[in-house]
Amino acid sequence: MGKMTKNNKTHEASFRDPSGHMFYDDDTLRRRINPIYFKQYNALKDSGFFATLFKNELLIPHKENSVFENEIIITPEPIPFITNPYEWSFEQFKHAALHTLKLQKYALTKGFILKDASAYNITFHKGKPIFIDTLSFDFYEEDTPWRAYKQFITHFFGPLVLASYHGTEIFKMLQTHIDGIPVKLISSLLPGKTKLSSTIYTNIHLAAKMESKHSEDYKAETKIAKLSKKAQNNILDNLFNFIKKMSLKEETEWGNYYDKTNYNDAAFQGKKELIQDWVSNLKPQRLIDMGGNDGTFARTVLSQVPNVIVTDIDSNAVAYNYKQVQEHKETNMLPFVCDVLQPAPGIGFNNTERNSLIDRLATYAPDVTMALALIHHITLSGNVPFNKSAEFFSKFSTHLIIEFPTREDSWVESLLVRKREFINHFDFYNQTEFEQGYGQYFDLEKKVEVKGTKRILYLYKNKQNGIA
Amino acid sequence: MHLLYFDPGLGMMIVQAVAAGVAGVLLFSKGVMYKIKGFFGMNKDEDDTYDSIDVDENEDGKDDKKQ
Repeated sequence: MGKMTKNNKTHEASFRDPSGHMFYDDDTLRRRINPIYFKQYNALKDSGFFATLFKNELLIPHKENSVFENEIIITPEPIPFITNPYEWSFEQFKHAALHTLKLQKYALTKGFILKDASAYNITFHKGKPIFIDTLSFDFYEEDTPWRAYKQFITHFFGPLVLASYHGTEIFKMLQTHIDGIPVKLISSLLPGKTKLSSTIYTNIHLAAKMESKHSEDYKAETKIAKLSKKAQNNILDNLFNFIKKMSLKEETEWGNYYDKTNYNDAAFQGKKELIQDWVSNLKPQRLIDMGGNDGTFARTVLSQVPNVIVTDIDSNAVAYNYKQVQEHKETNMLPFVCDVLQPAPGIGFNNTERNSLIDRLATYAPDVTMALALIHHITLSGNVPFNKSAEFFSKFSTHLIIEFPTREDSWVESLLVRKREFINHFDFYNQTEFEQGYGQYFDLEKKVEVKGTKRILYLYKNKQNGIA
Repeated sequence: MHLLYFDPGLGMMIVQAVAAGVAGVLLFSKGVMYKIKGFFGMNKDEDDTYDSIDVDENEDGKDDKKQ
């Protein structure tokens, strides 16, 4: 993870496309373009295609550094943190899909296509989805079908339709299917009634049948059907309309969290002021609130921190947070789904194509990590000892603001009661044990009881300086 | 010439013709319904925050004749 390994090193996710690759020039991520792609690159640049995409915030902007006979080097605007599709809420997934269709439709009007429609080519930056693979465009050949269509179905449309029936847990399937969920599997997982939807039937069920039928064309003998540009636009428009109307019918675990917890207004205010005070003293550039629900607490410091991440286990809370980001046009807030007990692993070739959450967090290196009302879930629901959760936070946190609900807190009481005859196994859940566990990795800086609650707020500093 | 560096799936290439045909019918009937509903003032605003599929080129420096 350290800087030592980064110098002039090819980015681990960047090797599939012969057109070029990403590499680290010290700490700066740049893109090398190979001669094989020069024709496309120059056409995209000279026609003003790139400029329009930058202006409309559809593609990550880049600057050209150097042009040689054997390589062109460009530097894209840095993105502080890359989220992966299996970490998005339903709305984010939807918007990433719509964004891809929009790009392909616009590309077609200018004589280009998106040559791939991988969900990993989109991430969230400045509150919006953005396309990040600059070399994914190619020339359109008259009357050819969209060759990234399969990817669009297996990366976007299929998972979205599945999630609308089975919930957003479906998105986690993308952790085991890095190139999308096979269309046959999508088809078999959908309820029979979806065959009555002409859009789902043609784009998934029929597509699955056609895939099976033509899977043995080893010599590429079957002629590829022609498809007019108008016809392709119809597919794009229809998928766009269909996806835009999709919604999720899931009950939320924490949806009304702030209504049903044991906060009164004064206690809420007290905790808010403490956090604002501590954060303003630390002057962080980057802050992450883990288990931060819909971002209520993170928003109390949003104006003083240039970059804020809020994660939650509940996809609906993340969706609600994302909705607020969109409505208030917040550019420094990034919400995503994360189960602290099972953070996203490193996947793909070499297990490094998509980095694990811990790797990405260590690189992001937040100045402040907040874990409010989270430790009792980790400890009592996840049975994770204090020193283990402290070790987890110490891997990426410089300062840690952590809230400890004591045994008298009503949430903790409820979690303990549910242990029934094993309640004695959890006698260790107390302040002394907590402080001992966290003391192994952190130095205590502040400790204050939140007035009107049975909770204590701690400010810790990592014992290791410059952890990342 | 295209660089086929991943398999686009032959079946998926062929099925696009059917998907496009069906999409054409759906889009046409949607347009008709939109006009009918519009006549009776029944068109609802969508609550999704993503804008339309079309790129607004008026702000584009290259196409904007005034710049």
